[in-house]
Amino acid sequence: MAFIYKQIKYKFFELLPLLLLFFISLNGNSIIDLKFFSVNVHFILVYYWVLRRPQTLGYGFIFLSGIISDVVFGLPLGVNALSLLIVAWVAAYVRVVTVRVTLINDWISFIPALLIANIIYFLSLYFSNYSIDYLFLFKNSVFTFIFYPFLWGFFALLLNLIKT
Amino acid sequence: MDTRRDDVGIAIRSAFLDKGTKQKFSLFALVILSIICIFIETIEARPLNYLRSFIKDTIYRSSLIVSIPSKSLSGFSDFISNHINVYNNYVQLKKENEELKNNISNSNFLELENTQLRKLIEEQVSSESNFVSARVMLDKQSPYLNSFIINIGSNKNIKNGMAVLDGKNFIGRIVDVNFFSSRVLLVSDLNSKIPIITAPSTHHAILNGHGKDKPTLEYLPEHHNIQNGDKIYTSGKEGIFAPGIPIGKVIIEDNLVKVLLFSDLNQISFINVDLSSL
Repeated sequence: MAFIYKQIKYKFFELLPLLLLFFISLNGNSIIDLKFFSVNVHFILVYYWVLRRPQTLGYGFIFLSGIISDVVFGLPLGVNALSLLIVAWVAAYVRVVTVRVTLINDWISFIPALLIANIIYFLSLYFSNYSIDYLFLFKNSVFTFIFYPFLWGFFALLLNLIKT
Repeated sequence: MDTRRDDVGIAIRSAFLDKGTKQKFSLFALVILSIICIFIETIEARPLNYLRSFIKDTIYRSSLIVSIPSKSLSGFSDFISNHINVYNNYVQLKKENEELKNNISNSNFLELENTQLRKLIEEQVSSESNFVSARVMLDKQSPYLNSFIINIGSNKNIKNGMAVLDGKNFIGRIVDVNFFSSRVLLVSDLNSKIPIITAPSTHHAILNGHGKDKPTLEYLPEHHNIQNGDKIYTSGKEGIFAPGIPIGKVIIEDNLVKVLLFSDLNQISFINVDLSSL
């Protein structure tokens, strides 16, 4: 009985990042937009889990959640999916080349991920003839970078729960 | 040096092409698929439109179900704040009521004068209203697009470009039609540009959204005499919307001619779509 309970608990914690990924996409919370700042939780979630435990978030699920975000936000299909996959790609690259897990390493390597993903985002919207507030995009990138350690802490806690 | 460059290449290739453990697709394949999706979005073909409509309708319905808890939570907080503000609202409504009572006599006179003038020029006024009502299904407050989803689509003959009204006030237009849902682009959005006419100054201009609450008037004549409180109506110049739909009133702030909309775009639950506007 205790073993089954342990198994269920493990499965739940293992599935939590995936559930969170789809929840924020469907609920339109992938970008938390408050009065003075906005944070792209989607990017942080994908980056952290592809970097630390890639088997938790499949690339196919990341693509699907990007498509859902596009539909919910009314953007052309594929724009969010593409930028999320770029974030996943940078995370996969960093995973291959790094050995030690530290917040600083993750945080610094998050900069190119954000930059490349946002450039791709900008280009795909530009070629789709969509006007967006580019100042907002910049502000969002800065605050996403600043906010990274907070979510890193939360996800690290979750990762510990999965491992134990 | 060459070895280091080789290592980087191998790492990039490994990250991009390898499926990895428990991964069903490689990143490269999915990136290509995303690019194809973006490209397909620009193609207009009936089978593709059906597929898009099906995908979007399914996602909207799923989103509606997922957002039930957060919706009921925000509904509860609105309920509490409404109760707290009930006295202030009462005082404000009383004041507005008195002002409206004073205005009624003026508007009756103007209406009479308008009818007489129309008779004089023997104008045939067709005032057939062909509205269909809908409920706002999803309002996700996207930071990039000021829009919401309504619960009717091609099943109720909705077409792209139709005017959307809150009561009798213009609030936006249809930009995306699916089988059972449509997307309304609000006048406050960055992509919204509506031809308008001002009253009583009778200037033609374009109402330009900026992603914020107050859109601005662009392309006004150089020596215009627009003043605070001037009313804004659709001009019907583009041949899509009916002329004379009220939008808002002018507020001049920092030398910018802004428009305070008659409808609060954050508080809309039901809308009318003008089927005759196309």
